[in-house]
Amino acid sequence: MSVLSIIAFAHRIAEETPVLDKDGHVTTHSWILPETAEIIYGGISSLLIFFMLFKFGAPAIKKSFAARTEKIQKELDAAAADKSAAATEAATIRQAKGDIEGERARLLADAATQAAAVLEDGRVRLAAEVVDLEAKGVTDIASAQGRVGDELRAEIARLSSAAVDHVVTGSLDDATHQELIENFINRVGAGS
Amino acid sequence: MSDNRIEGYARGLFEIARAEGTLDVVEDELFRFARSFESSDSLRSALTDEQIPPAKRQAIIEDLLGGKASATTTQLVAMVVGSGRGRDLPAIVNNLVARASSVKHQEVAEVRTAVALTADQQARLGAALVKATGKQVNLKVVVDPSVLGGIVATVGDTVIDGSVRTRIDQLKSRL
Repeated sequence: MSVLSIIAFAHRIAEETPVLDKDGHVTTHSWILPETAEIIYGGISSLLIFFMLFKFGAPAIKKSFAARTEKIQKELDAAAADKSAAATEAATIRQAKGDIEGERARLLADAATQAAAVLEDGRVRLAAEVVDLEAKGVTDIASAQGRVGDELRAEIARLSSAAVDHVVTGSLDDATHQELIENFINRVGAGS
Repeated sequence: MSDNRIEGYARGLFEIARAEGTLDVVEDELFRFARSFESSDSLRSALTDEQIPPAKRQAIIEDLLGGKASATTTQLVAMVVGSGRGRDLPAIVNNLVARASSVKHQEVAEVRTAVALTADQQARLGAALVKATGKQVNLKVVVDPSVLGGIVATVGDTVIDGSVRTRIDQLKSRL
């Protein structure tokens, strides 16, 4: 059935005499269904609208869906890329963490080695210093002993000298002077 | 002072003393005065101080030697000190004594003792030195308390040391 026959059918129905109630008011022939013409016109209009929607709205909707799909795909791709980057980053971080652990272990090992070396050097140096100090102490003691001995000898010599001066000058009376002079004269005269 | 000037002064003093006929006495007195001059810092500074007028320095000489030494000795010393040559007095006197000894064909024998020698001791010591050195000696005795005791005799380059001072020094050295 063509559209024109449908329209003609609808027009003929529309020309039908309306049904009136006892008060003269126009009434429908069914308490639930509209008038036949209204159904036909409404149906045609609905079909027309559906057609228009299908004709003009569907491409836009398709396009919209396609765009949305593309956008979602892009977002999925981006999310996948982000996931991949995150995984790479995580791997890098895990590697870095592993490197840090290795570096930490290496540093700790180096520190332990250096500490051991420093400790050993310190022990050796201290031992050498102790030996030097002992030697210096022995030398100082010997030097002090020598110095004290020298000072003692010098003091004894000084006191002895003073004592000799005092004793000799005190014992040189006139008789001794004359004896010394006579001895000198005799010795010189006899020594020729 | 140069050697020539010292020698000139010594020759002048020598000729004056010889002309006066008191050479032996003068040289002996000058020798003893020179030794006192050397050993006394105060005397040396007083007689060599250029700030003291020559007349005053000569007056000091007069005070020191007047009545104790011959007039010739006093005048000769005063002349040397007054002419500003006091510093060279010992050298001048030594030169004079050497000159006098040379004239007498003697060697100067400087004898230092702690106490004065008697004339007899001087004579015997002179004879002993002549015997020991083989030279005629012109004995010059200097009383030097630093000798402490005994005698130190110097004849030319020969030193005969019998002093207590030297023995004490040797003992100190050993100590």
